[in-house]
Amino acid sequence: MRATRSRVAAITLTGVLAVSLTACAAGGESGESGPVDLTMALWSSNEDHLALLTQIGDAYVAEHGDEVASITFEPVTNPDYVAGLTTQIAGGDVPDLAWIPEASGPEFVDSGILHNVGDTLETTEGYALDDILPAALAPWQDEAGGVYAYPFSNSPFALYVNKDLLAAAGQPDVTALVGTPDYTWHTVTDIAAATAGATGSVGLNIPTFNPTNWSAVTMLGNAWGAAPWSADGKTCEFSSPEMIDYLTWYQEQMTRGAIPPVSGNAAPAAFASGDVAFSVAQLSQSGSLDDTFEWSFLPLPAGPEGYHPIVGQAGVSVLERSAHTEQAAGFLAYLTNPENAELLAQFFPPPRESLLNVEVLSQAAPKLSPEEIQSAIIDVVPEATVKPQNAVLSQFTDAVRAGLDPVWSGGDVETAVTGICEQISPILEG
Amino acid sequence: MAFVAPQVLGVIVLGVIPFIFVVWYSFNEWRPLTGQMEFIGLDNYSRLAADPTFSASIVASLLFSAGVLILNLVIAISLAVLLNRRLKGITAFRTIFFSPVVVSVVAWSVTWGFLLAPDGGLNGALELLGIDGPNWLADPSTALISLVVVQVFKGVGMNMVLFLAALQSVPEEIREAAQLDGASPWRSFWSITVPMIAPTILLTGILTTIGSLEVFAPVQLLTGGGPGNTTNVLPFFLYRTAFISQQFGYASAIGVVLFAIILALTMLQWSTRRKWVHDEV
Amino acid sequence: MRSDAASAARKRSRVTTVTLYVLLVAVSFPFLYPTLWMFFSSFKPANEIFLQPPTLLPREWTLDGFVQVFTAQPFLQQYGNSMYIAVIVTVSSILLSAMAGYAFARIRFPLRNSAFVLMLAAMMVPVEVTIIPIFTAVNAMGLNDTHWPLIILPIFGPTSVVSVFIFRQHFLSFPRDYEEAARLDGVSRAGVFFRIALPLATPAIAAVGIMAFLRSFNMYFEALIFLRTPEKFTLGLAITRYQDFYGEQMWNTQLGAASLTVIPILVVFLIAQKQFVQGLAQTGLKG
Repeated sequence: MRATRSRVAAITLTGVLAVSLTACAAGGESGESGPVDLTMALWSSNEDHLALLTQIGDAYVAEHGDEVASITFEPVTNPDYVAGLTTQIAGGDVPDLAWIPEASGPEFVDSGILHNVGDTLETTEGYALDDILPAALAPWQDEAGGVYAYPFSNSPFALYVNKDLLAAAGQPDVTALVGTPDYTWHTVTDIAAATAGATGSVGLNIPTFNPTNWSAVTMLGNAWGAAPWSADGKTCEFSSPEMIDYLTWYQEQMTRGAIPPVSGNAAPAAFASGDVAFSVAQLSQSGSLDDTFEWSFLPLPAGPEGYHPIVGQAGVSVLERSAHTEQAAGFLAYLTNPENAELLAQFFPPPRESLLNVEVLSQAAPKLSPEEIQSAIIDVVPEATVKPQNAVLSQFTDAVRAGLDPVWSGGDVETAVTGICEQISPILEG
Repeated sequence: MAFVAPQVLGVIVLGVIPFIFVVWYSFNEWRPLTGQMEFIGLDNYSRLAADPTFSASIVASLLFSAGVLILNLVIAISLAVLLNRRLKGITAFRTIFFSPVVVSVVAWSVTWGFLLAPDGGLNGALELLGIDGPNWLADPSTALISLVVVQVFKGVGMNMVLFLAALQSVPEEIREAAQLDGASPWRSFWSITVPMIAPTILLTGILTTIGSLEVFAPVQLLTGGGPGNTTNVLPFFLYRTAFISQQFGYASAIGVVLFAIILALTMLQWSTRRKWVHDEV
Repeated sequence: MRSDAASAARKRSRVTTVTLYVLLVAVSFPFLYPTLWMFFSSFKPANEIFLQPPTLLPREWTLDGFVQVFTAQPFLQQYGNSMYIAVIVTVSSILLSAMAGYAFARIRFPLRNSAFVLMLAAMMVPVEVTIIPIFTAVNAMGLNDTHWPLIILPIFGPTSVVSVFIFRQHFLSFPRDYEEAARLDGVSRAGVFFRIALPLATPAIAAVGIMAFLRSFNMYFEALIFLRTPEKFTLGLAITRYQDFYGEQMWNTQLGAASLTVIPILVVFLIAQKQFVQGLAQTGLKG
């Protein structure tokens, strides 16, 4: 008797698992009428970010109570944001809106994960879709002109300089070189190597770089004319002469101590420690700096192929599998309209041309001078390209990571990049 | 029956049944974000067989486990022997060796990341001895062993306590008798102590093997699977395949293989018990 | 003659004692240093943590990190969450795995051996492998972002098998006499277990209790998957979630929070380690 009962229990529980699986596979379809509850997944659990978003959400609910009953902002706890979001969605818990990191952008657009909000944005009064910089919006559009996200954060990479450290090493201040033909990677790394040698500090750092995040290094190659793949994303160009030149140069800088060696996946020294001469980073990093040393914030230097600014992005989208895509799109149009975009700008550099001014941007980076904001952000953003993206990036990113490792430890560049192209070409060609 | 029911049912519901699901997933191609799921039979397994990253991953896992198992047991037994005596302050030392067990694995790994950096604490110490230390986590010849060390120091305290417990049940008289018979300490360790603690060696060996094959956080935080694929152990490869490459079916196949390896190694250790363990465990 | 030999032996033993202490101190280093570094670094200003080479003691002492531990997140509440979950897990684990261990050791029931082998096999399924079906079920039951999965999984899940195993070994090596006498006096099976077997199993209870507590207290992966609201976080998760405005990790705060979670357990271990070791010594884990 008892044995039978426990077997029944086991079968019932299997049923629970099975039913819930079917539920998740079926996806969501909005069957209900009346106001709905929306959730938005985001990577930040910062209280000030959440407070601002909740404030905007509450205002929307107050105005549109007939469509939306509540809006909840749920930080994804996994530090690996996409992994956390994926688990959630695969388990049948699909948020209505989500922040999407740039690396996943084209892939998500391509595979139909994101909802086309183009029509909603265009028809929303006062939204001014054409105010959004074309270069910023492009990664979130498809060929048919559909719009799949609002690039709420559009942040150029810049060069932080520790002036005190350069002075201590008897090196010239590169700030004076900006705008002259001498402001090149060549000059900067010479100074970096000399400073590192004289003071025992770190020369040039790329803080977002660790081997898993190889795109942070390859992106600088565009000043050498080097790109990891062709513009259409279908052909591997890691083994192009330009990329080999660039990586060989990078390797030389590591050898002579201008760029510190890679140390596994561990966090590199922070510019804020005062022990780093140069650092490539976005404006948000300025928040962690105080006045213990003098520093400046400059546009990226030029390479052999000239000057090519780069931005990093994150978008906010409506998920196609949400049960309330319409209502979610409505809220997206409100969250990112010009007024609210200005509010968001206190944390994230906006993609809207009308907001690209010193006044708005100094909210996000109060420690930067107006001149720095002008020359390293406002002048740069309209012509900047987004970090390398690819519609099948996730499928080969680990192969590139493993393939580039020998380069960081002094191995032969040509062998390494040829191997990478052999491995990833079939994936790129699809 | 009522006595075992909750626990056995729990293990079935939370372990066995989910695993059956994973086996089922492994016969499918499943893209979690779009919700597409398609039955493809054994394709994931034939793909695994041909995937060079997978074979590198198996090698990394086996080397890592072998390293952890040997180092952990040797250190745990040595520490237990050292600490198994009445001595002033011995409690403090026991606590020190046990302390990493209670430190969160994230904090532990992050700290070691700072210590193993090229200009980090370890190389700083080596420099005092006139040794130019390697770039521990980025050099293919030292990355895996570095992870082994991080993992061993984190967990060896628990095994040390288990061995200490086992040693304390070895009757004092037997050892004294052996000493009077003129047996060297080394000799009496091998012929008396080891056989007495053999069941504990077997049990800690099995638990340590399982634990080391499931390692994840130190790899994620310290090496990211590199350099190359030298530290791309199976659980990490599985995680990246599922959540970065978004291939749940393929990742499930890796999970099934990982389970098969753990099962095989455990059975192997278990099957040796009659040869060298007196007491039936 | 004899006294010479004795004093020589004493001398030798004093020499060995000193050698032993030197050895122990040397060996302590890799165990202690990372924890000390973590502890002292939480008194450093955030910038100083990255100084190369790292220093053990702060150049400049500050309590900012610790203040932020409490202001940036509801840390006390998270501490409370971890504690209450760990207590429930510990008590339930002891009770349930003792029952199961007792049954496997003492009671004949159909499929006993198969059930035991099944348990051992399940122990070898890593949670990373089965997290998707488990998450699906938890979500379907509406238990996402609650503490339920964090309580249920360690009590009933595959990791609990070790506890069952310890109790089984304990009861196997325990003389049956008392229990048989009680059975002859007409006491029920449950009565024998609760009144005789369990109270005499204190060593195994201590061992299982400490292991279950640590397992629950250090749980990270499950918390990562199931929890979303900071008020519901457990410590392992909370530690990694100290970020500034810009999503940058606040290392000194994280390390401070980590230190605060370690110290109480270490103190408990320092006080209870004798019982813990003796407890293990008297279970099936003994030699």
